[in-house]
Amino acid sequence: MPAKTLQWLFGALMAAFLIVPLLVMMPLAFTSSLLLVYPIPSFSFRWFVELFTLPVWQRAIVNSLIIGFGTTALATVLGVLAALGLRRRLPMIGGVIRTLFMLPMVVPAVVLGIGMQILLARIGLANTHLAVIIAHTVVAVPFVIVSVSGSLAGIDRRVELAAASLGASPQRVFGKVTLPLAMPGILTGAVLAFATSLDEVVLTLFVAGPNQRTLARQMFSTIRDNISPAIAAAAFLFIFGTLLLAAVVLIVRRKKEVAAI
Amino acid sequence: MMSGKSFLQKSGPFLLVAPLFLFICLFFIWPLGSVLTQSVSDNAVARLLPETAKVASSWDGESAPGEDLQAAFVTDLRAATDEQAVGDMVRRLNSAQSGFRTLMSKTLRAVQETPEGLIDLVALDRKWSQPQYWKAITDALSPTTDRYLLAAVDLMRNDAGEIVSQPPEQTINVAIFGRTFWISATVTIFCVLLGYPYALLITVATGWKKQALLAAVLLPLWTSLLVRTAAWFILLQEQGLINSALMDLNIIAGPLALIFNRTGVIIAMTHVSLPMMVLPIYSVLLTIPKNLMPAAASLGAHPLRAFVRVLLPLSFGGIAAGSLLVFMSAIGYYITPALIGGAGDQMISSFIAFHAQNSGNWGMASALGIVLLVVTIILYAVYDRLATQRERSA
Amino acid sequence: MAEFRIRFDGVSKYYGQQCVVDKLRLDIEKGEFVSLLGPSGSGKTTLLMMLAGFETATEGQILVDGYRVNDVPSHKRDMGVVFQNYALFPHMTVGANVAFPLQMRGISRAEIANRVKTALDMVQLGALSERKPSQLSGGQQQRVALARALVFEPRVVLMDEPLGALDKNLREQMQLDIRALHQRLGLTIVFVTHDQGEALTMSDRIAVFNKGKIEQIGTPRQVYDEPATRFVAEFIGETNLIDGTVETVEPASAVIRLNGGDVVRVAGSGGLAAGQGVSVSLRPERLSLTDGLSNNAGLPDNAISAIVTDCVYQGDHLRVQLAGPADASYVVRLDRRSPEPQRGAQVTAFFSPEDCKVIA
Repeated sequence: MPAKTLQWLFGALMAAFLIVPLLVMMPLAFTSSLLLVYPIPSFSFRWFVELFTLPVWQRAIVNSLIIGFGTTALATVLGVLAALGLRRRLPMIGGVIRTLFMLPMVVPAVVLGIGMQILLARIGLANTHLAVIIAHTVVAVPFVIVSVSGSLAGIDRRVELAAASLGASPQRVFGKVTLPLAMPGILTGAVLAFATSLDEVVLTLFVAGPNQRTLARQMFSTIRDNISPAIAAAAFLFIFGTLLLAAVVLIVRRKKEVAAI
Repeated sequence: MMSGKSFLQKSGPFLLVAPLFLFICLFFIWPLGSVLTQSVSDNAVARLLPETAKVASSWDGESAPGEDLQAAFVTDLRAATDEQAVGDMVRRLNSAQSGFRTLMSKTLRAVQETPEGLIDLVALDRKWSQPQYWKAITDALSPTTDRYLLAAVDLMRNDAGEIVSQPPEQTINVAIFGRTFWISATVTIFCVLLGYPYALLITVATGWKKQALLAAVLLPLWTSLLVRTAAWFILLQEQGLINSALMDLNIIAGPLALIFNRTGVIIAMTHVSLPMMVLPIYSVLLTIPKNLMPAAASLGAHPLRAFVRVLLPLSFGGIAAGSLLVFMSAIGYYITPALIGGAGDQMISSFIAFHAQNSGNWGMASALGIVLLVVTIILYAVYDRLATQRERSA
Repeated sequence: MAEFRIRFDGVSKYYGQQCVVDKLRLDIEKGEFVSLLGPSGSGKTTLLMMLAGFETATEGQILVDGYRVNDVPSHKRDMGVVFQNYALFPHMTVGANVAFPLQMRGISRAEIANRVKTALDMVQLGALSERKPSQLSGGQQQRVALARALVFEPRVVLMDEPLGALDKNLREQMQLDIRALHQRLGLTIVFVTHDQGEALTMSDRIAVFNKGKIEQIGTPRQVYDEPATRFVAEFIGETNLIDGTVETVEPASAVIRLNGGDVVRVAGSGGLAAGQGVSVSLRPERLSLTDGLSNNAGLPDNAISAIVTDCVYQGDHLRVQLAGPADASYVVRLDRRSPEPQRGAQVTAFFSPEDCKVIA
């Protein structure tokens, strides 16, 4: 059937269009050439060495880690608390508040960036790590809320009632039942928050000073100014880091299930 | 009403939501509010000329300005020591009335050389006898202005205070907004054309094929936007994979121009936005019973007709949601056009960033930002409406 | 005065303007098995939730062992609750689920291990204590929930349609198991169900709920044989309800003219007055049939002429549909060995005065 063949040809081409760009990056991280082009003359770790020894990149990696973990901690704490609060039906304003918390995902980053720069300068936080963490948390928190709300919604209310009837005080119901059951969602939210912070460029452009340059920010200017295979190596670290985090979450989740059996 | 619940239990949800609420108010609402006030505030002049402001109201605005106004102005100039602020003021005045830059540098020099007593400004420069220069100063003393917001859409106030179009040689913003919407619309259309059949294909596929097709959409979504853009940079460049492949296959003789132009921007943005189109359509297609198309066929509808009359209307909600999502995010794009596009492909975000960071024109940057923000919020409101409607009907 | 374990004293529950439980009074004795039976939305589950402390009463008092518990939080009420979907903790093993209430009470590890084992053995699940709930069948999950609700020896066990999700055979087995446990351990059980067969099988007493009120409370025999209201007669078991008027009232019986014209005698005459409009409830299995028209010869007082409209063999009985005078229709259950009456045949249905119940 030619129609069927055409269908699958389209599917294969589309899948290639979606995936190939992600793959072409990888081998170039190991090129020995000074140029970001194929074919690769020979295999080399020189760009990774550069990444970890050149002070600009070194500092960028350290900054990304500081800001990434700071954002993860702040966004997870705020997001989990808010998701717990939004779980109970708040009279009238619940929907409004939820929409408000989701808005940072929608507002163009450049507009938010300008406002942040004005405000953070005014309250004396300009060019600090805290400023970048705050800015990243604003855009990371919606992911935490979505993911935690999702797992909270999956908890049968009656399971918590059962715990109460069996003698557990509200605090113990939360600690022994609600929190463990929401944990997968909390972990996922934390990973998403970290990934968001890692990838953030636009807000960082506005609120970070030269000492807060993150890896993403450094990649952005490298692509702009002097294209070098170091960006492929950095991208490799990005993808690898995200995969590693995702794997950790998967393993933690799996472990909980295995421990149960 | 009797209730066994304590105060803490009742107020618990509010206490839990409060930290994030405060955080969002402080670091999201307030910044956006700052953008709004910045876009209408105009204190570059008023800040430095407090004495002038006091006597300005006594001037009728048409006759030659009196001695007291000139004296107050000189006093203010003597007190102004912040060079950057003075520079801002001069720039602001010059934009309202050309010729101010040279006039002010002459005047400032005179003020520096004569630290005491009166200065005869008219003797210094004949322009100081012309009311329009003083008018520019007194107009600029007002702390709020709509000039940035008007300029954001290529409008201005003429001397009579009426809103008119800017002279054609100065209109640029409407064209940039037009370009932004045009690029975003093109990307949205490409996403529908590619994304709808793809979503349909995922729906009908089974087994590993379905998993593979789904993974192909989800993997880019989980990958950093920056990495995806960098990847397209590598693919599209002159010695990039696409050009070298096409040349190796002897399809083209010399490299195609794929990067730093519109083609590259649209290809890369379509790739980045495609998952946002496929997933909403897929989730709607999933809810449509599989036997509807066979049912339509059994009732005598040609497959194409059955598609147009049955499947397309039922999945319209997904197309609308996906299109709004893609368009809404596309108009705010900064990274992709900045890295892949040429000078003629920069979208509104780039100009906002340029005004704020390179030329320090925060008023203009904020005004353009407010226009972009309003458009985005309207689109989001429509999207939210659609989503809740679908939720309610489901 | 009897020793009441639980007393509902004029308890009401409103959701906004809507009244779900209406000034309800109910006493439950120690060691009693009481079913709250009614259609969904009749307020029976809400009453149970108020007793467990998950809902607060809008007005009235709930007393347990003589003490008002309205304001006692659920974790201090000492009541074991079994939910319809079992509400087991999905992240804990079976053993941990059963141990949970004991841990909450600060009991020593050794004793917890002991009591968990006893409780699981009691429901024949001793071997599965390391499994997760998701690895158990519905019936096994149900028994874990039961063990968990009983292990801490609560004052009262509350069950909210606990067998609703099980298939028929398992449900009947569990009914007998729970009943046996009740008798063996001397438990006080409040059992919510909408299944009248379940209520009849298990309960010492049944409270029939309708629209937030109790229509009747009594032993299974009382509510089945002597329904106090039309609602009870129709909700519990199958019945033929025929409207009529009281003709004469005698000391031990009354004569009623049914709307179809037939005249029947019923046992008992308390509260009836001549000319009063009443309904007569006739259980299908209490009716007998003879061929042909009634001639009263050798038959009891009460006979109704009818035509057979349908007859269905149902395995354990024959179900015959009759059309009486004035559009009245009757259902009759016959022994499965009875000869099947022909459709359209003229028959006489008869019954003794003791086998019908007049509802005012």
